[in-house]
Amino acid sequence: MTSVCMYFEVHQPMRLNKFSVFNIGKDDNRSEYFNRKLNEQIFTKVAKKCYLPTNNLLLELIRKHDGNFNISFSLTGTFVEYCQNFMPEVLDSFKKLFRTGSVDMLEETYYHSLSSLYDEMDEFEEQVKMHRQMIKNIFNYKPRVFRNTEAIYDNRIAKKVTDMGYKGILTEGTEKILGWRSPNYLYKSTNADLKVLLRNYNLSDDVGFRFSAQMWKGWPLTADKYANWMSQVQGDIINLFMDYETFGEHQWTETGIFDFLRHLPGEVLKHGHMDFVTASTAVEKYDAVGEIDVPWAISWADEDRDVSTWLGNDMQLACFNELKDIGRKIKEKKDSELLATWRRLQTSDHLYYCSTKGLADGDVHAYFSPYDGPYDGFINYMNILQDLKQKV
Amino acid sequence: MKIAMIGWEYPPFKAGGLATHCYGLTRSLSDKNVNVDFYMPKTKHSSNNDKSNLKIIEVGETEIFPYDRPDSKEIVGNFYEAVYYYNSLVVSKIEKNIKKYGKYDAIHCHDWLTIKAGISLKEKWGIPLVLTIHSTEYDRAGWLYPNQWFIDIEKDGMQKADRVIAVSNFTKKVIIEKYGINPGKITVVNNAVYPIAEGSKKEIVLFLGRLTIQKGAEFFLRAAQKVKDFEPDAKFVVAGTGDMLPRLINQAIDLGISDRTIFTGRLTDEEVKHIYSISSVYVMPSVSEPFGITALEAISAGTPTIASKTAGFSEAFKNCLRVDFWDTDEMANKIVSLLRYDPLHKTLAEEGKREIDLFTWDSVADKTIDVYRGVT
Repeated sequence: MTSVCMYFEVHQPMRLNKFSVFNIGKDDNRSEYFNRKLNEQIFTKVAKKCYLPTNNLLLELIRKHDGNFNISFSLTGTFVEYCQNFMPEVLDSFKKLFRTGSVDMLEETYYHSLSSLYDEMDEFEEQVKMHRQMIKNIFNYKPRVFRNTEAIYDNRIAKKVTDMGYKGILTEGTEKILGWRSPNYLYKSTNADLKVLLRNYNLSDDVGFRFSAQMWKGWPLTADKYANWMSQVQGDIINLFMDYETFGEHQWTETGIFDFLRHLPGEVLKHGHMDFVTASTAVEKYDAVGEIDVPWAISWADEDRDVSTWLGNDMQLACFNELKDIGRKIKEKKDSELLATWRRLQTSDHLYYCSTKGLADGDVHAYFSPYDGPYDGFINYMNILQDLKQKV
Repeated sequence: MKIAMIGWEYPPFKAGGLATHCYGLTRSLSDKNVNVDFYMPKTKHSSNNDKSNLKIIEVGETEIFPYDRPDSKEIVGNFYEAVYYYNSLVVSKIEKNIKKYGKYDAIHCHDWLTIKAGISLKEKWGIPLVLTIHSTEYDRAGWLYPNQWFIDIEKDGMQKADRVIAVSNFTKKVIIEKYGINPGKITVVNNAVYPIAEGSKKEIVLFLGRLTIQKGAEFFLRAAQKVKDFEPDAKFVVAGTGDMLPRLINQAIDLGISDRTIFTGRLTDEEVKHIYSISSVYVMPSVSEPFGITALEAISAGTPTIASKTAGFSEAFKNCLRVDFWDTDEMANKIVSLLRYDPLHKTLAEEGKREIDLFTWDSVADKTIDVYRGVT
């Protein structure tokens, strides 16, 4: 049996207002850091193009395949806040999906942050607990599998996540940690009792990145072709991890992405030796075939598959360190309003916008960035951090 | 391949980017075994040249520069005549050489000044004409009251040229939209730079360029005033000269920044290199800027650059900061950020220098040769 494990990251960052050096430290400025109008605009747009239609389609498919089509999500706290503030019907449709019993919810940090990379793990733990509380409130469920921000993983994180009671974790199936070994099996962390699900990046990116690329030899990608490719894969499990926005947003409706998704479960299930599992089921069903040892953090981002996407240049490191320092002071002060603001500023996207990685990766960064390039991103973010620092 | 290039300025004599371009281009062409005869007006300085297949041929004398306006010079009245006269001198000189040494494979003109000569040589001898546009009348006028006489000459040249080279996509767009030229015959060839050595940085914010409406120095001064209170040690240098100099000096006094603003007047080549090398920030707030070689020069010297969004440079170059030339608040925000945040300054300087390596005269010559091949 080969199981297909589909997982979708559902996240929207809180984009920032234009904030110039002249705003720093002004009491009278209406110093709202977050651009509510822009955020609402983008959220509503993506909800209409992606979240609502994809949720509806998945619900239809789950019902049609009667328990044989299973999927996993992680919803970030910032995403859920958007739902609650702007479009409650989006959250309702996730609840409806969850109630089918074919949907698994994974844990994350509430703020989709890089707190797992801080020297102390206390902030990470607090954000995971916030997320746990949120999932409990909305779905009355306690996730068993963890998915860190952009699949960031190393031994230290594995240990912490195990200590917090999780049975499994998702990360990237990169050769850096696998060497000759296949990502299509479960592994165990070298220093903790934690099963690791590794993303099959070839098959995942066929959908996430290459689906509409007419230059690609696999184009046009149809559900039966893709199911055939998967049926030839050796292994216990094929992990297809991607942004949920792949459907209808990164790949527009016109590319045929929804038709592809509509036919995918049926085409996969035509192959008798294949089924769909959630991340939690995968962890129960399969044994680890080996150990992975990851002393340096990996992730699913960019070509480098490490954390250089967020911490790759001096500007990013400066912001990251500033952010950490401010946090220490805020926690000493026990100011809950400043704490909430500080946490929203930890969302990894703010650092992602400051990445100067060139060429192919840079183009992806530019697509997601609300700024005219990484330098503008840095100036705005750093100005806000300086203002917050003064307020503390 | 043998090219007759008709220019106007050539180092050490130069007033702008046209000279820099012709210098870099002709030297790299000559390295690629293209024979170039470069025709230009006689000047007081003798031009540097050590290439055997590149000849600098001086023709007559003139007092007109490519950036002159008929109303801003004492030569009012005979301005137009002077232009025609110079063009006819060039034509007869080139014809003499054609009769003596044989035909050229192409005539290559730069900007409006020599277009007349290019057209008449093309028509009489059937030699293909290539025209490089470094700036249009709209740019030089800062998009205010452009002079129809220049526009007509430019349009005539663009229409009759076999191929037009634009120094940026920005300029290509102007050529298409304002002059109605078929996009198919326009090739974009960005400018390039001979890198300048980096010096020890001082807290200097630099403007360098002709002091004309086009270059937007007044916006630089307004931004400087806003920076003043935040960065009390910063000095502002306005390098260059032009008809707006007296007005700008008064403006600096009115803005209360005359104690920290230095007007250098015209600088020598060595002084230009020095000021680039020790400045911390370069600002190019041009109202209209077909390319903006000075930005490349500054960045090559490790000086991060804030460029007007309307500059051809800022659409071709990634590692720079961009502003609307009129948005002096944002300009000031970026100047202060560069002075204050070392990681920003360092990253921009490093990444900028890396990107500069893509802007070589060697590659300009390759692209220009492709254009020659397309017409011969």
